[in-house]
Amino acid sequence: MTSTVQSPVRRTSKPQWPVRNAQGARTGSRVAPLFGLPATGIVALLLYLPFLWTTYISFTEYNGLGSPIWVGLTNYKAMFSDPDLVGALTNTLLWVVGMVTLPVVLGLLVAVLTYGHRWGTWLRLPFLLPYAISGVAVGVIWGFVLQPDGALGQALGFFGLPGASTGWLQAGPGNTLMMIVAVTWQAAGVNALLFVVGLQSIPAEPLEAARLDGAEGFRLFRYHLWPQLRPITTVVIGLSIVGSLKTFDVVWVMTQGGPGTSSETLALSMYKETFVLNDYGQGAAIALFLSLVTFAASVLYLRYQLADGDTR
Amino acid sequence: MARIANRTTALTALAVAGALALSACGGGGGSPAAKGEDKPVDSLKFYNDKGGWKEAFVQVGAASKKDIGVGMEPVGYSDSNAYTAFVRSSFRTKEKADLFSWHTGKELEDLVDQKLVAETTDQWTKAVADGNIPEQLKQYFTFDGKQYCVPLNAGYWVMYYNKAVFKKAGITATPKTWTELLAVADKVKAAGVKPFYQTNILFSFVWFETLLAGKDPDLYDALAAGKAKYTDPGVVEVMNDWKKMLDAGLFSDPGSKTEPQAQLKSGDVAMINFGTWFSGNLNTLKMKAGTDYDFFVIPNVNPALPKTSMIFETGPVCSAAQSDHASTVTKWTDWWVTPQAQTAWANSRGDLSFNPKAEVKDPGLATLNKDVGGDGYRLINRWFEATPVPVATKALEVFGAFVTKPGDPMPGLQKIQDEADKYWAKQK
Repeated sequence: MTSTVQSPVRRTSKPQWPVRNAQGARTGSRVAPLFGLPATGIVALLLYLPFLWTTYISFTEYNGLGSPIWVGLTNYKAMFSDPDLVGALTNTLLWVVGMVTLPVVLGLLVAVLTYGHRWGTWLRLPFLLPYAISGVAVGVIWGFVLQPDGALGQALGFFGLPGASTGWLQAGPGNTLMMIVAVTWQAAGVNALLFVVGLQSIPAEPLEAARLDGAEGFRLFRYHLWPQLRPITTVVIGLSIVGSLKTFDVVWVMTQGGPGTSSETLALSMYKETFVLNDYGQGAAIALFLSLVTFAASVLYLRYQLADGDTR
Repeated sequence: MARIANRTTALTALAVAGALALSACGGGGGSPAAKGEDKPVDSLKFYNDKGGWKEAFVQVGAASKKDIGVGMEPVGYSDSNAYTAFVRSSFRTKEKADLFSWHTGKELEDLVDQKLVAETTDQWTKAVADGNIPEQLKQYFTFDGKQYCVPLNAGYWVMYYNKAVFKKAGITATPKTWTELLAVADKVKAAGVKPFYQTNILFSFVWFETLLAGKDPDLYDALAAGKAKYTDPGVVEVMNDWKKMLDAGLFSDPGSKTEPQAQLKSGDVAMINFGTWFSGNLNTLKMKAGTDYDFFVIPNVNPALPKTSMIFETGPVCSAAQSDHASTVTKWTDWWVTPQAQTAWANSRGDLSFNPKAEVKDPGLATLNKDVGGDGYRLINRWFEATPVPVATKALEVFGAFVTKPGDPMPGLQKIQDEADKYWAKQK
């Protein structure tokens, strides 16, 4: 009997797949994918099938009872000819612009100004705490702040400043802008945290070299920090775009899309058409349109950013 | 290899079988059990969108258990939209709701058209003959000559007022005419209190309804039936009357997040135009009827009208067709319309009942219940139920914007009419 001593498997940087046994036969290659079946089944059942069903419903007239009636592109035509839905689309775009500027810029400022500071963690804390609050709670709190005799009005009145009796939420597009401010209050902190993580990943040596060369303040930020923060900025802006396209909770709590439809977003229109008007077909059309816009925006943005990064 | 192949086949078969089993769950169900086999039970679940009324429902459930041996367990939703979606989707499953609250008008018609709710014609015939349900309520539950569901509640829309505020403003008598009502509002305003409550969400229709029903009830009914237009001169005139009141500063802040009952209790507003169910809301704030608050019948805007327009609302309690517990449901709903059940129900919340024989403890409500049955009143279906859902939704948006920023009403009315034209064109 001879014993064969097998040479240890050489570790490589990439995992070997499929795994081969001593005879070189592939093992597990047929069985392993089966382990993914339950998860695939659940995702298909809970995500892909409803998506396909929603797509089908968007081409029908359906009130949730009985059978859907095929109407082709009618719901899509109605969507783009209804001035209220066009208004909702405009408001949604306003949210995208607002959310990729205000919370991102504020988060970046907080991160850069506090990074490396002795009390940095404590200085960032007040910005980070609101993130622990749910969107609905943010809506409730800011609803009380912004109502005509609310906290903001009373504070302005107390200091004798103008605007004490302004109806902050009572006319568009001002109401949408005020709600963006409310969400900025909540979102800036987590953006700051992400930017701090980005700052921590920057190697110290090039920065020291830059400082030795006399780079300080804004010059240091513009030519050294900002370029190296690019990966994390991509993530922060990408998340902001996706989050703002599906804005619903804060608007629903603060104005329910009103007065009239002045602060309605596409997500709110989708909810209203489906669950208030029971027009499931129209609601599904908006849902599909919103999904496609979100998907396209995410893919285009990330492809652009990541492709650009790869060429560096 | 063969073992692996066999295992793969077995797993694939298992997955396919699982998928088939799951897809079968979503089907309409063709087994005899799904077709409404009758299985008597001790207690029924009552799905409803009145989560805040839970305590009252629990009391009624205890009363029914005692009287007929069948209890009732409320399953309350607080969000009306979520509730509506739940009920609509439940009809696609095998679980048929034994009891559920709903709305009259088009919402009920939708369910009847699809044959989803159980018919109650025989129960209605008996209840009307026994005097337990007034004949005039029948129309709201009748489709093609047959009745569906039984009334859950009934309410009249009156003007609630804070007695302390009236006293402070030097008001000694409640108004009997529209002119007197406006004079009372001016006195309240002079005392530094907002005379009337208003909101720019959901109940933004209330003042439109009050002014139109009090000025031209025929036009109100014609509008609800699609036989008049929101752009008709009579409607425009009502909107302009409303604007005058808004411009005069007679209303509270429409964007306020404070609940109306809290605003009345605190004396921030003097008067609130609501259904008699509002008594229950005030009672939960420990306000005492006749001492802290009271109500009066809202006088007509047009004093020449022969009868006082009284906004009336009723909601149904229904059972799904093919309920597995049909005999128990009938037993319970038969009990529900009786005077003893309705006495328990009315007093559990301090509200009225649709049954005139119910003994309502609140003397004001009891008198109102008696008076409204007389000849001096014209009952008018509440705008929310009388108006088709798409038209009502558009109108609520328009009214919400109007009370927030009053201006020329025509563009808004045109928007509502465009929606109404679309709706009524589909009905013809």
